Amino acid sequence: MNSLRPLLFSVFLAAAASAIVVPATAQGQDPIEITLKTLTAQMKFDLNDIVVSPGAKVRMTFENPDDMPHNVVFCNPGTDVVQLVMKMLETPEQAMKNNFLPEDPKVWLKSRLLNPHEKQVLEFTAPTTPGNYPYVCSFPGHAATMQGVLRILGEGPKLEELKFALYHGEWKQLPDFSKLTPHRTGDVPDNLVQLNFDDYKNQYGLVFTGKLQIPADGDYVFYAASDDGCRVIVGEERILNDDGMHPSTIKEGKKRFKKGMYPVRVEYFQSTGEAELYVGWRGEKFDTTALSKWTPPNWKKGVVQKVNEFVGMPLEPKEAPVIYRNFIAGAGNRSIGVGLPGGFNFAWSAETMNVALAWRGAFMDAARHWKNRGGGHQAPAGFDVVRPAELTPPLAVLDAPEAAWPSFVPDQPLEGYVWKGYDLDAKGLPTFHYTWKGVEVDDRLEAKGDFKSGGTLVRTLTLKGNIPAQAYLLLSQKGKLNASGKGFAVQGEKLSLVGTSYSNQLLIQAEGATAVGDKLLVPARKQIQITYAWPELHPANAASIAQ
Amino acid sequence: MKAQRLFLSFLLGSLSTQTGLFTPARAESPDPTEAEYYKITTFPTPAGAAMEVGSVEFLPDGRVALGTRRGEVWIASNAQNATTPGVWNAQTLKFEADPAAPAKDSISYQRFAEGQHEILGLAYKDGWLYVTNRYEVLRMKDETGAGKATRFETVCDKWGVSGDYHEYSFGSRFDKNGDLWVVACLTGSFSSKTPFRGWAMRVKPDGTMVPTCSGLRSPGGIGFDADGEVYYTDNQGPWHGACTLQHLVPGSFQGHPGGNAWYSLAPNMGPRPVDPNDKSRMVIERERVKELVPPAIYMVYGPGKIGNSSTAVVCDLSAGKFGPFAKQIFIPDQSHSNISRVFLETVNGVKQGAVFPFLKGLRSGPIGARMGADGKFFVGGSDRGWGAKGGQPFAFERVDWTGKVPFEVHEMRAKADGFELTFTEAVDPVTASNPASYTAREFTYIYQEKYGSPEVDDVLPKIEKIDVAKDGKSVRLKFDVLTKGHIHELHLDGVRSAKGAPVLHPVAYYTLNEIPAK
Repeated sequence: MNSLRPLLFSVFLAAAASAIVVPATAQGQDPIEITLKTLTAQMKFDLNDIVVSPGAKVRMTFENPDDMPHNVVFCNPGTDVVQLVMKMLETPEQAMKNNFLPEDPKVWLKSRLLNPHEKQVLEFTAPTTPGNYPYVCSFPGHAATMQGVLRILGEGPKLEELKFALYHGEWKQLPDFSKLTPHRTGDVPDNLVQLNFDDYKNQYGLVFTGKLQIPADGDYVFYAASDDGCRVIVGEERILNDDGMHPSTIKEGKKRFKKGMYPVRVEYFQSTGEAELYVGWRGEKFDTTALSKWTPPNWKKGVVQKVNEFVGMPLEPKEAPVIYRNFIAGAGNRSIGVGLPGGFNFAWSAETMNVALAWRGAFMDAARHWKNRGGGHQAPAGFDVVRPAELTPPLAVLDAPEAAWPSFVPDQPLEGYVWKGYDLDAKGLPTFHYTWKGVEVDDRLEAKGDFKSGGTLVRTLTLKGNIPAQAYLLLSQKGKLNASGKGFAVQGEKLSLVGTSYSNQLLIQAEGATAVGDKLLVPARKQIQITYAWPELHPANAASIAQ
Repeated sequence: MKAQRLFLSFLLGSLSTQTGLFTPARAESPDPTEAEYYKITTFPTPAGAAMEVGSVEFLPDGRVALGTRRGEVWIASNAQNATTPGVWNAQTLKFEADPAAPAKDSISYQRFAEGQHEILGLAYKDGWLYVTNRYEVLRMKDETGAGKATRFETVCDKWGVSGDYHEYSFGSRFDKNGDLWVVACLTGSFSSKTPFRGWAMRVKPDGTMVPTCSGLRSPGGIGFDADGEVYYTDNQGPWHGACTLQHLVPGSFQGHPGGNAWYSLAPNMGPRPVDPNDKSRMVIERERVKELVPPAIYMVYGPGKIGNSSTAVVCDLSAGKFGPFAKQIFIPDQSHSNISRVFLETVNGVKQGAVFPFLKGLRSGPIGARMGADGKFFVGGSDRGWGAKGGQPFAFERVDWTGKVPFEVHEMRAKADGFELTFTEAVDPVTASNPASYTAREFTYIYQEKYGSPEVDDVLPKIEKIDVAKDGKSVRLKFDVLTKGHIHELHLDGVRSAKGAPVLHPVAYYTLNEIPAK
């Protein structure tokens, strides 16, 4: 393809490419491996279209990661699978006894009824008659959405009476071969389009002509992949034109044809470098069929198509803060995610009455919770996630500053605290409210500046009422603390959320903050202001954290 | 008319030796359709929003508040009067507003709040909108008058949540004592990982929580009957052969023992009940487990029957503005995208009654629903996580009575030896008194830990005697056998109205928990 590419390299690639031919033609012995899964909480299979050759040996792994039982039942072409299941349920006791697997002559293959999180391997020989074989989960109530089609497709007709004409020349695109005299012509004995003639390597053109039987009226898709350019003409129609110098990628062209024998013409040219040519076609009644000797990797791509892939649903704070009360990984089960315009985010826990996480960049991806049944914990979408003080209550009375900080136990009442809710100011920024030992506490976080340009997260706690003696606010625990300027550089405990690890480093500054062992404490008072900053924004302080 | 009736009784006499052939069909009465009697208007929903309605409440000014699964609260204006349906857009997968429609015929929306955790309960009181999310009841208010909630006050957060998808929480409106009820789904189908999962709780006006009933599995909605008694729907699964409508009697056990560990945290409930025996029958376990209240109604499971996924409990308090079914209960089904109708009575102190198909054709999976005193029935939902026949990802709809009375079984009451049916209009005495017009079957479900149950223990009763009241409004059926604890399935395919119409929904399923003495 590329005339500047060193010759050695192109030789190596050509060899590598030819090796790929093997698996494409070796369908005889090894079973085809297919994995069919149920989708968690969606009442669907992950595949709804599977294509297999007639009589192929198949080893299908059927997995049920869902939380309810499922099976898979393969039926003959034309079966109304919903009807089949309804008919089975007309004798419910019998159906139950059979684990909701229909005893029906229309069924030719079925799995067990898999309990949640089970799997089963089904080894079978595919039907030899081409057709669409529907499959379904026959557990009551599932058939309407848990369906798919196993398509048994044989190969289509191949080219006949194929001839080649070889031309020499240096082109950057396909020439008008009709005005040129071929260097050599001849028959192609195996009727496969190919480049394996041994009297040329570079700077040549080839024109293949032959005949192709269109077996019935219908739509046909032709494929070609060539390095360099090619063109496919069927009858009078130019189906594909992939001219110019380029590496091979599969292109397709679709046309409707009437039944009959059609002339086929494939034009190709090679400049220098890699040389590849693939031509194939597919009909409604037959699978993709190669018309060339060489086939590119995944030339049957689409044989097994994934469906129902999740895409993200990012929540983006634009003008106003975005609030997301949901299961946020690392923030307990009652977290309130707050995304602020400007790229600062945090999760406030209505279990611990405390900031559980803070992070920069993107806020949250809601897809996990909003595209299925709504379970599971989702990690923040952004980066530099920090958890300054584990999941702990914020305020405590300590006999001595060295005493252990009370811990939070999920589902146990948090001694002395009552969650009161929050309100939103005119900008939509929340202030959280709770009481602690009769003291009314307001907790509010806002961004100062942008996260990309030295901004910080400023938190203000306001305490109203009689603050008990020896009451403290916990800023950090179980990390490494280094005094740094007016504040502390904190290397928090290792933080890993849903498989992603974070360095958990931040800078905390609050008037009166004192390091006591691995705790960073402030004596409780009427108002406490805390500034959180990420060390990257303060290179000098980052160095002290690294020690 | 009279002459015709005489003629027919003559005809009946001539065919009485071969009653099987007597299938009345009167060509002059075409099959009635539901749409003649009840009209569904599918509203447009706001651009950029997923209107996955989980709860519906009315505000004092008539606007309709909608709580969604994505945690938003929307306020709909002109929902009662809007006539312009949404226009389906296959690109956005939404019903969109028709810009050409005049405002007086159109619904409009305003977003009142967002960011809550799956709102499955809304209740208005004294200027506050009470919201039930997965783990708390809070109340919200707009304190600035800008149309957006600014204050979010926690009312009660005393039940648990673990992160499992199954742990939904449905909230009621205020009951006759001023309490709000919460029904909390188990953690998954079998167990309760965190306090009061699988329980019904009352939240008192001061925010304290009173654990009130145990044994819930997977509620789909909660509501009141005309007397203010509290009911919830539960879903087929372990210990539930089918979906059910259940009466929340304070102190009762509702059938699924998975959450019974929390009796340790509920001293007001007394000692933990004995566990039901597996693979038994409800009627047997009621004798063993004294706290066990049987389902008032089995919402018979399966295609072509009642449903697969019962949700809201909506009582018709419109005194006739929604048609002839005043004080009856309407229950949508998320999976079948339909609504069923329930008639309840009390026999020997236990709630029971009959369920009838009512209306098909909702466009998504209905979850939240509410009927106003004006008979406007609002229903909305989503198919997220479970398929819905309606096929659309979410929808908000209104059901209106057209003013035409369908010929239906109105009430079905248990008697010592059979049932008494009343009808919405007079029956044709000939067909109504012919045993061949009816088929009956009695069955029950296995009460078991395993998921669901087939219909078992079939009894095929004979209808021994039929008395049609003189006014044609009621029919008394005498069965040769009634089976306590069984669902009595009655088909009325042959019954015609005096005007010759077939019964619009000619099937009833009566859950016979108790057989009355007379």
